[in-house]
Amino acid sequence: MPRVVRKLRNWTARILDLPQDVVLNLPRITMIGGIQMTVENHRGVLHFSPESLRLAMEKGELEITGNELVIRNIGAEEVFVEGTITGVKLSAGSKKNP
Amino acid sequence: MKGSWFQYAKGFVRVKLYKGDAEQFLNEAVKQRVELWDLSFEREGKLIFYVSIPDYFRLRPLLRAVRGRSRVLERHGLPFQMARLARRKTFAAGMLGFVVALYLMSTLVWDVEAEGTATISEEQILAAARAEGVRPFQWSFRLGETTELADRIAQRLPNATWVGIDKQGTKLGITVIESSRPEQTKLQGPRDLVASADAVVTRIVAESGRPKVARNDRVRKGDVLISGIVGEGERTQAVISKGEVRGLVWYEFKIESPLEREVKAYTGEEITRKYWLIGNRALQVTGYKGPTFAMSDTRAAYKKLRLGPWTLPFGSGIEKEKEVVVLSDRLSEEEAKNAGLAQARLELLAKCGEGAVIKAEKLLHEQTENGKVVINVLFEVEQSIALERPIIQYNVPQMNVEQGE
Repeated sequence: MPRVVRKLRNWTARILDLPQDVVLNLPRITMIGGIQMTVENHRGVLHFSPESLRLAMEKGELEITGNELVIRNIGAEEVFVEGTITGVKLSAGSKKNP
Repeated sequence: MKGSWFQYAKGFVRVKLYKGDAEQFLNEAVKQRVELWDLSFEREGKLIFYVSIPDYFRLRPLLRAVRGRSRVLERHGLPFQMARLARRKTFAAGMLGFVVALYLMSTLVWDVEAEGTATISEEQILAAARAEGVRPFQWSFRLGETTELADRIAQRLPNATWVGIDKQGTKLGITVIESSRPEQTKLQGPRDLVASADAVVTRIVAESGRPKVARNDRVRKGDVLISGIVGEGERTQAVISKGEVRGLVWYEFKIESPLEREVKAYTGEEITRKYWLIGNRALQVTGYKGPTFAMSDTRAAYKKLRLGPWTLPFGSGIEKEKEVVVLSDRLSEEEAKNAGLAQARLELLAKCGEGAVIKAEKLLHEQTENGKVVINVLFEVEQSIALERPIIQYNVPQMNVEQGE
């Protein structure tokens, strides 16, 4: 995203009081207890095992740890994970490509 | 869409990716919009997932790209079921046969019910319906519109005003309303009313015809009371004479009345037996011990248990046997005479027909012999004396001439 466009979007979001995730393609994470989790706006799966799932984000990555993790559904935009989730770690690192 | 009937119709498989880079494969699949679901990882780094059949065939180039190998673990859905069914031909034929048979049987008429009326019996209605093709095991599509059918059945039933057919599934109900008709009168020819016995007329009322006698006239048996020939000369006509004629008639009775009669009487001794009823058999429970009677009169009352609208096959009964003795009763002459007269009166009234009244009775002779009272009695009865006699047409002018004299 060009710099000017990003600045314009940021400004629009602030003026019109819009949620940032809608405007800026930020990841949106919904978690229900420790059993279900939906991650929107992911950029691909980096690693997947029954104990951990690492997803690429626009910036950085998201690591979900737990037991018996299963991807119930996966689409271009969102991942729906089920299992016993014990930890979620968001590390804003450099942009990684899957 | 997952797990829905749509998914089931398309068919889906469970696939194991046992070789190749699982993460790369997953990302490629997402990029190609191949729908995978319920993904899980085995410890050895093998990915297991579900994919629909059309998508499964799109996986091939992806697998080649990541140098993966896959194996189908489970097959689900309609396409596989059909393939399985194709292998079991008899079973498939049976399934199809069942559907066809069910359909065919539901198009048959299984039962025809009709309710008869006072003059049209159920059998007549069913016979008319049968003639129009309405019978059990007929195809319902061959019957056509029920209203037309009802009209055709109505034409076959002369006394029916309206016929209704109520079709409920495989059952046909026929309702018939009969037309009300005037009461049929009996055909009658011209006739006279003549005297049925020698009598003295007490009352004569002619509704039609010409009265030939008057009150207090003495008539002999066969005399014309009300003539059916009316009019004079050219306009003579024979009619059905109608009317009421009453007269006094005398009857002589000879009555024999015995002085002794036998009377049955209870002694007061009785045996009671109780029964249990099971089905149509009775088991005697009590009353085994007891005297036996030379003559007896037995009365029994049985009762079956009822439960709501049903009669159960169980019940109880009670039977009473009463001892009877025959007593001879001796009557006085007066009593015997009265008994005989009462009997004679009843017989007389029965013989004289409706509306007969005993006006007087006279004892002519009374005698007691051989244990009997013998009496002669004369009854005077007022009764209807009119008797119908047809007029034979060809003798009308002749009778007219006689009457003219």
